[in-house]
Amino acid sequence: MARVVLAPALTRWLPPTEGHPGGELCMQLAGGSVGELLQAVFARHPVLRGYVLDEHGAVRHHVAVFVDGQCLRDKRDLAQTVGEDAELYVMQALSGG
Amino acid sequence: MSDRLLVSSRKGLFVLERAKPAEGEWRITDTAFLGDNVALALADPRDGNWYAALDLGHFGAKLHRSADQGRHWQEVGVPAYAEGDQVIPGDGKPAQAAALRLIWSLEAGGADEPGRLWAGTIPGGLFRSDDHGSSWQLVRGLWDRPERHQWFGGGYDHPGIHSVCVDPRDPRCLRVAISSGGVWRSDDAGENWTQTAQGMIARYMPEGQQGDPNIQDVHRLVQARSAPEVFWAQHHNGVFRSTAGGGDWHEITDVPPSVFGFAVAVHPRDADTAWFVPAVKDEKRYPVDAQLVVARTRDGGRSFETLHRGLPEAQAYDLVYRHGLAVDDSGDRLAFGSTTGGLWTSDDQGDRWQPLAARLPPIHALTFA
Repeated sequence: MARVVLAPALTRWLPPTEGHPGGELCMQLAGGSVGELLQAVFARHPVLRGYVLDEHGAVRHHVAVFVDGQCLRDKRDLAQTVGEDAELYVMQALSGG
Repeated sequence: MSDRLLVSSRKGLFVLERAKPAEGEWRITDTAFLGDNVALALADPRDGNWYAALDLGHFGAKLHRSADQGRHWQEVGVPAYAEGDQVIPGDGKPAQAAALRLIWSLEAGGADEPGRLWAGTIPGGLFRSDDHGSSWQLVRGLWDRPERHQWFGGGYDHPGIHSVCVDPRDPRCLRVAISSGGVWRSDDAGENWTQTAQGMIARYMPEGQQGDPNIQDVHRLVQARSAPEVFWAQHHNGVFRSTAGGGDWHEITDVPPSVFGFAVAVHPRDADTAWFVPAVKDEKRYPVDAQLVVARTRDGGRSFETLHRGLPEAQAYDLVYRHGLAVDDSGDRLAFGSTTGGLWTSDDQGDRWQPLAARLPPIHALTFA
């Protein structure tokens, strides 16, 4: 299982009905690629799809995804494989605010 | 007169109410999305729903709806472009995949069209919702017009629809204004469209293109509710008026102190009365002589008064954006808000103005609710 961490700037947009108290959200999720892990996030929290991805399925221009500390370089290529115990960190870029 | 005003700002949505009506004092009574960029709001007169369009720098454009006047908000759908939709600006910028940048206008459909909303967007698509904003459909009839590839951005990189006028006589009759793409009319709820900016002039363009209706940079378009054949437009080049249903435009050149500006409002019961907030043209954009004034005509643009009582007489650098001037249903009450967070109201059609005591963040849009 990979560890997926969502930054507080993202989780504050979760509907109150999803019960997240705020702050960073860590999840253990199954998936062999960046895209599969993100889909697993969206299966639990559908509203976040539009915050992380644009309408064409690319990571938003001002969103950064780190895989084991390395920034995802091609925001349109979500097929990058991840290890069994990888950490995926999704955060707002410092630009775009 | 309406005693409530929704103020969309760079740092949230502010609800203003007249706490002491006898004194005419407005106060902030509620806030929503504090700290976030609210592009505009709509108070739907048909069902009382409020909508707030957010422009989140990192996470894109979002839309929220409230059924209880702002106590609770629910995120709903946003317009989305499909794979293959492209923006090909007419000013030489490279073609790009179309993606929603901003919800730049939001209007309610007709009284007999519950749940119908129209949203104008950057990069230039008009969208329709028939379920209170939960889902949206791109109006292909306009998007697929070949003339769209002549449109270009005015201020923004890509063209955008900032004004949608739903005809009070027939909600299937629509006019939209585009910066920069002129004025378009549909008589069949968006299936077919006609360019109707003939008569507008863009003197900043090369000779030979100045009269091209398809490149006109309209800043704001409003329709007179009491005489729906009458339209007013604040244009990058000046002020224009139509008495022919949004076509056959006539330029009005004598608007003191300047014909440049963004906002225009028309009296709901008197099509000859309209207000503008002029500024130095066109790359400068601050009040002429740093004195904030409102220009008002009561005779269809033949003459104007410069209204200044209660407004800063000097050292004012407030610019009022296209959605930053509002008139209520009575036509007596006005409000405008500026890029430097100033807000003024009037109860007598602009003769006298009162400032809001609070300083607000930069203001994008005002609407009475």
